Amino acid sequence: MSKSSSSYRLTFFQRNSQKIAQAVIITILVLITLPIIVGYVWLIVRSFSEDIVHGFIPTKLTLKNWRFLWQEMKGYPNIWQTTLNTFLLALGVMAIEIAITSMGGYVLSRYDFPGRSAMLKFILVLHAFPAISLMVAIFYVLWNIGLLDKLWGIILLKASLEIPWGSWIMKGFYDGIPWELEWAGLVDGYGRMKVWAKIMLPLVKPGMAVTAIFAFLSGWSEFIFVYTFIFSQKTWTLSRYVMGIIGDYRFADYGLLAAVGLFYVIPSIIFFFFVSKYMIKLTIGGVKG
Amino acid sequence: MPSIRVVNFSKYFGKVKAVDNVSFEVEDGEFVALLGPSGCGKTTTLLTLAGIYKPTAGEIYFGDQLVNDVPPKYRNIGMVFQNYALYPHMSVFENIAFPLRAKKLSKEEITKKVKTVAKKLMIDQLLDRKPMQISGGQQQRVALARALVKEPEILLFDEPLSNLDAKLRMLMRAEIKKLQSDLGITSVYVTHDQAEAMTMASRIAVFSMGKLVQYGTPDEIYDHPKNMFVAAFVGNPPMNFLKDFSVVSEGNSVYLQRGTSKLRLPDSRKGSLPEVVPEKVVVGVRPEDFRIERKEVDNGIPGTVYVLEPLGRDVIVNVRVENHEDEITKIFAEPGETFKPNERVYIVPNLEKVHLFDPETEETIL
Ligand SMILES: Nc1ncnc2c1ncn2[C@@H]1O[C@H](COP(=O)(O)OP(=O)(O)OP(=O)(O)O)[C@@H](O)[C@H]1O
Ligand SMILES: [Mg+2]
Repeated sequence: MSKSSSSYRLTFFQRNSQKIAQAVIITILVLITLPIIVGYVWLIVRSFSEDIVHGFIPTKLTLKNWRFLWQEMKGYPNIWQTTLNTFLLALGVMAIEIAITSMGGYVLSRYDFPGRSAMLKFILVLHAFPAISLMVAIFYVLWNIGLLDKLWGIILLKASLEIPWGSWIMKGFYDGIPWELEWAGLVDGYGRMKVWAKIMLPLVKPGMAVTAIFAFLSGWSEFIFVYTFIFSQKTWTLSRYVMGIIGDYRFADYGLLAAVGLFYVIPSIIFFFFVSKYMIKLTIGGVKG
Repeated sequence: MPSIRVVNFSKYFGKVKAVDNVSFEVEDGEFVALLGPSGCGKTTTLLTLAGIYKPTAGEIYFGDQLVNDVPPKYRNIGMVFQNYALYPHMSVFENIAFPLRAKKLSKEEITKKVKTVAKKLMIDQLLDRKPMQISGGQQQRVALARALVKEPEILLFDEPLSNLDAKLRMLMRAEIKKLQSDLGITSVYVTHDQAEAMTMASRIAVFSMGKLVQYGTPDEIYDHPKNMFVAAFVGNPPMNFLKDFSVVSEGNSVYLQRGTSKLRLPDSRKGSLPEVVPEKVVVGVRPEDFRIERKEVDNGIPGTVYVLEPLGRDVIVNVRVENHEDEITKIFAEPGETFKPNERVYIVPNLEKVHLFDPETEETIL
């Protein structure tokens, strides 16, 4: 009796090994994220203070840096018009991408059409291909169809660049749904389209949420195409607006820059909170209703 | 209710011949089982009956209507899948109501029909749950309810009981059989469990490697298997095979002889022997068609008791045949008889009931 119980005696470290491991992991994670957290804290503090000394100490609380929200800034477009443009861009890309990838993914997953495997390989290659190298060609195309300097042009451009990869992602979600469910729907008296809409689509909702997040964020944060193909200030988006402030040679107004920057990230944070429950559900390809 | 007629049906997937030139009929209101080992084409046949696959060749008739190109939704069939295929995002109620919604019935009618069928299958307590929140046996009942609620003319089952535990399986076996005979719906039931096929079906179609080997009543299949495959597949424990017997005629009698063992074929059976018999034949004897004796008798084959398998009511005695160490015969002992391992015995086949097979073609000779 006593012999066997003594063999279960553990040292302090053995007894608490799990807690210690946890503490170590948390410490490491904190250290890694610290610069990012510090950056955001600085952004918030700076945007509400008159000036900053020693890099971090705010001098006087003020709302002056946020003046761009209620007064016209000389040399810049109206902020609300710019924000609306950014939303239109992000939501437009999202809507088109969801509509097309939810159907494209289904076809890639379920139909054995000629050229299917070639197409799948091509999508992978395409994804590795930087879109920026297409700049000149894109300019030419947009110019020809009259979508240069138009928000629609950017929306269609972003969506078309992301649809192949998005379809691939959606294909993974459809692949996770057994054929039997589809067959059951057919036997229960529905055509293939109805089965897709009533059975398949609800089951790939997490996939659609993930695609939506990425499409929205990529539209929201798009800069290079807006910078290159949009010339009129009334069509600017927020990323271009921020660039305008950074690139203003007259003086570097860090307070203004911090406030605009913060304003720019708020919607994407809110959006993320809305859809993060789907992100957590996401286990590569696996879908459980 | 229509009958089903399958004529010269084949289904290929690329080079794979999943089903190869199969013909059979299911009569109006009949319960037919498709029986065979894994990969023999049972599911493929069933899915073709459902209209999900199109035949590569051949015709499928419901009644006298050719349905080869009729899509599933116009076939008025109910189907129960092996893993139930319940819609995970719908409640049990919605699952059962789904086929009715396709028919555009009124809300009241749908509720009424779902409640009726749920009550009949004793799942009316579960209507609000999601499929993930009920047990396997309950899921099975929901799948059955979904198949029945639309009052189909044909019911198709794909191994519906294989995911249930043994006790529940026995229970559902009887219940499905009762339900089918009450409703009189023409049914095709796929299974790889011979006991299920024997107990439930009025006729069994035995499949092997995409071919229909034999089609007949359970008794026909059991008593007159067409070849060694059917003989071995149907029955538990399976038929015993004793190899390398020669058929010899002496005077008026015909004997099956191997070494010192000499079995006299009864006069009633020797007439059925074909003119030409292979040099060597395989003798097939079912476990209940052996008698075990302790002393040497006519038609006895010597051996030693190898191991005993008590089953409660019966005991299966495994006897190792002398000079043929690889032949371990399984025999149901007579009630009350007891044997000990390593005991020397003589096993005596009931020669009225032995089967003879050609070892080359594996076809039945007698
Ligand atoms: N969609 C398909 N593509 C290619 N081959 C297939 C397809 N479906 C079935 N097969 C092949 O056809 C053969 C018969 O398959 P089937 O599913 O009908 O077998 P089964 O008798 O139902 O077997 P099990 O008892 O394992 O369900 C198998 O060899 C299988 O690999
Ligand atoms: Mg199968």
